[in-house]
Amino acid sequence: MTATTTSATEDLADVSRVLAGDVQAFEGIVRRWQGPLVNMAWRYCRDRGRAEEMAQEAFLRAWRGLAQWRQESSFSTWLFALAANVFRSELKRFPTVSVPMDAIAEPRAPAHQHSVLQKKSTNEAVRAAVLALPHRYREPVVLFYFHEMDVSAAARTMGLPEGTLKARLSRARALLRSRFPHLNQQSIAPAIAALNTGKEA
Amino acid sequence: MNRTQKKNSELDPRQIDNILAAEEELIPSSGFLTSVMERVHEEARMPAPTPFPWKRAIPGILLATGVFGWGAFEFVQQAVPAAQALTFAAPHLSVAIERPLEQAGWIALALVISLASWLLSRRLAGQSGLL
Repeated sequence: MTATTTSATEDLADVSRVLAGDVQAFEGIVRRWQGPLVNMAWRYCRDRGRAEEMAQEAFLRAWRGLAQWRQESSFSTWLFALAANVFRSELKRFPTVSVPMDAIAEPRAPAHQHSVLQKKSTNEAVRAAVLALPHRYREPVVLFYFHEMDVSAAARTMGLPEGTLKARLSRARALLRSRFPHLNQQSIAPAIAALNTGKEA
Repeated sequence: MNRTQKKNSELDPRQIDNILAAEEELIPSSGFLTSVMERVHEEARMPAPTPFPWKRAIPGILLATGVFGWGAFEFVQQAVPAAQALTFAAPHLSVAIERPLEQAGWIALALVISLASWLLSRRLAGQSGLL
């Protein structure tokens, strides 16, 4: 039995117990999904405190609406979609403080700069640029990388057709590329290999 | 040498994927689980929201609809002859204006009924604590 199957079985059992009136059984669900939900929220806002608040709100909504999970999709799909809705509306109410994309300086590579610092600086700039993307392009990027570059999972979470998500992702990448035209090739992560092997297709 | 440097600075947009995919894992704070469960228990202790008292409201709604319907019918019964009488009294009111005026009267009546039913439903909802 794989970890995913175990988790799905445990989710189902916990949900059944909660719906039967055992409030404490919800702890199992929180324990299993707190990491993914906090990380997902973190990618939306880049603020640890706020990420935990938003994840907590998502768990509460899940608690209130647990009976609405029809088991047509997996529990995780339902939970992530619900969480994405919560995060989206929370960020609409109180937007993150993000600088305009043009104001994010592209890190240069001076010869004297330590390569580790240079890499860190570049990474931070790219992540800040993601937050500065227009909303309709930001969320696909956030969810695509959160779901380890699985387009269908990201599309399910957003409730969008895969084609629409791919189009928005492509536009988002173009915007990021136009902002950072000088990124040079460093180590190619397995992520790129995954892209090339058609995980995205 | 120059060629090597040039090669190293070649653009590679795939690096964006590399950077965004290699995100550090954030570990929830130690009190997160407890905090969530506390709020869940709080919610569980709260009484379930009172459903709208349809059983009690439906007779009232039906009665109100009947009364307003009857009132409207009576109003029209009384008003139409009166309006016709008024037409005789006001010879300047041409036929071209009379018909739109009659239609406007019906629209006004419908609006009054809608307003009354909205106020009634609001009152009923307010009594049941929904508003």
